[in-house]
Amino acid sequence: MSNVIETEGLSKEYGNVYRVKDVDLLVPEGAIYGFLGPNGAGKSTTLKMVLGLAKPTAGEISVFGKRVNSKNRLENLKNVGSLIESPSYYGHLTGAENLQIFQTLRGVPKQNIDEVLKIVRLDNQKNKKVSQYSLGMKQRLGLASALLGYPKLLILDEPTNGLDPAGIQEMRELIQSLPKKFGMTVVVSSHLLSEIDQLATRVGIIREGELVYQDSLMKLHQYSQQHLAVRTMNNEVTKSFLSQNGVDWEVQDDYLIIPQMKDSMMAEISKVLGQNNIGLVRIEERKKSLEDIFLELTGTAVSL
Amino acid sequence: MRAAIRMEILKTKGRKIWLVVAVMMGVQMLWAGWAISNKDANDLVQGWLFFLYQFPMLNCIIMPVIAAVVASRLCEVEHKGQTFKLLETIVPANRIFDAKFIWGSIYMFGAALGQVAIMIGMGLMLHFGGPVPWGALGGYLFFTLAVSLTIYAFQQVVSMLFANQMVPMTLGLVGGFIGLFSMFFPQGFQKFILWSYYGVLMQVGMNWDQNTRAIDFYWTVIDWSGFVLLFVFFGLIYGIGRILFVRREV
Ligand SMILES: Nc1ncnc2c1ncn2[C@@H]1O[C@H](COP(=O)(O)OP(=O)(O)OP(=O)(O)O)[C@@H](O)[C@H]1O
Ligand SMILES: [Mg+2]
Repeated sequence: MSNVIETEGLSKEYGNVYRVKDVDLLVPEGAIYGFLGPNGAGKSTTLKMVLGLAKPTAGEISVFGKRVNSKNRLENLKNVGSLIESPSYYGHLTGAENLQIFQTLRGVPKQNIDEVLKIVRLDNQKNKKVSQYSLGMKQRLGLASALLGYPKLLILDEPTNGLDPAGIQEMRELIQSLPKKFGMTVVVSSHLLSEIDQLATRVGIIREGELVYQDSLMKLHQYSQQHLAVRTMNNEVTKSFLSQNGVDWEVQDDYLIIPQMKDSMMAEISKVLGQNNIGLVRIEERKKSLEDIFLELTGTAVSL
Repeated sequence: MRAAIRMEILKTKGRKIWLVVAVMMGVQMLWAGWAISNKDANDLVQGWLFFLYQFPMLNCIIMPVIAAVVASRLCEVEHKGQTFKLLETIVPANRIFDAKFIWGSIYMFGAALGQVAIMIGMGLMLHFGGPVPWGALGGYLFFTLAVSLTIYAFQQVVSMLFANQMVPMTLGLVGGFIGLFSMFFPQGFQKFILWSYYGVLMQVGMNWDQNTRAIDFYWTVIDWSGFVLLFVFFGLIYGIGRILFVRREV
């Protein structure tokens, strides 16, 4: 399977600070790629560079296997639809007129307008001025503009921004259907892991401009199961004992969180604790929530 | 390119830009009517010369205002709806810039043509002396358009680069006033100020006899070196402005 987007050492400096640093993005064909990171992590900046809207300070970008340069950029982007940060629209024109502008400039068939309006369920509102649209309707119009040319690659930057729960659900279902229905590859950015859980097939997590995780969502789930929580009568002594034996630990409330280990190893630990008169009162297998993992990876909480 | 221009036209729907031009032409007509109303039959013999002297003066302020408003009306919709980040993934940025300029020039052309129409209309109505000076009126149209398009280019650059349209509007007004006042400065100095070129490229001069208090208009030689300099102005403004727009990150 080939990669639709491939970046190498992609970096962007704003005023002497690297806001995106050495990012090697790999988006496989047919994937729904969840691009995650907290506010200000560099998601939009990265996606803008892929679209050529911002100039990389360093690094290379390949789209559809072709290295992007200023000459072939637009040719390459013919097969890319995008919605960055907020929808682009002309408020004084109707939804249909807005799409007509982008359809004409793209040089795609006129009938696409009605088709994409149906897909995003705006067909009943198409003759209303966009300035009178609700935020959710504008967002859907933005998606319609991105879909106009039935692109092979769709880049959506926080497409659920400003949507209510029902709208978010609808957007998820819509995004989920795109690879099967139209053979699209989709990149969706978000600052909520829960939002792309069960949607993305592949996840990239960016933190302060650096890609800290990139693999399948399944791996991330597996990663979330590998911890034990123990509670003893004297956690302080237990800590130093664990450290002496090279076991990582972390305090969480009354518990010490340690990595998953073999039964024999755990038995050994409980035996030694008993010998030292430290009562082991609880051993629990903890499944970290995805959100915990995400917080750890993005550094917003203490790291393991 | 044609598609891009057609879309510019679609974007102006309901924006009432021609109304702005029409209102400004109305102002110009009222002013011309007022200026000519206190002239007697003797003065009307020089009516054509009078108009070809006074219109460029008024243009120093009228045309920059039209240019500022038109450019701002055309560009503000893009900033408001944050459309550049989508447009620039579809169309080369320089084509967006060119298409906007071409469509904006149509309004400037309309305004200049409207002025010539006002002059001819009033001249025929009031029976100015001599035949209609088609050559001079053609020259007027040409020079007015040359200056106006250069000013329009400047306004478009600023309107495209700044989301806040108060910036280009203010610059346009300030420029207009500088142009107006520069009439009192020496010719050499005027040539450094874009907005005074309506005066620099005037085809008619004026003598004022202190003793008899008589005003006498006469045909002057066209300042072609000024025209060349204006052309340089245009090239620099358009070229640099377009590069700035293309390089800008959205
Ligand atoms: N044009 C710019 N000039 C200077 N700094 C910028 C510019 N654009 C972005 N930044 C900075 O780069 C960092 C990353 O911004 P970016 O918009 O990519 O974040 P993000 O991950 O998309 O965040 P969010 O979830 O809030 O959309 C931020 O610290 C931001 O302040
Ligand atoms: Mg963002």
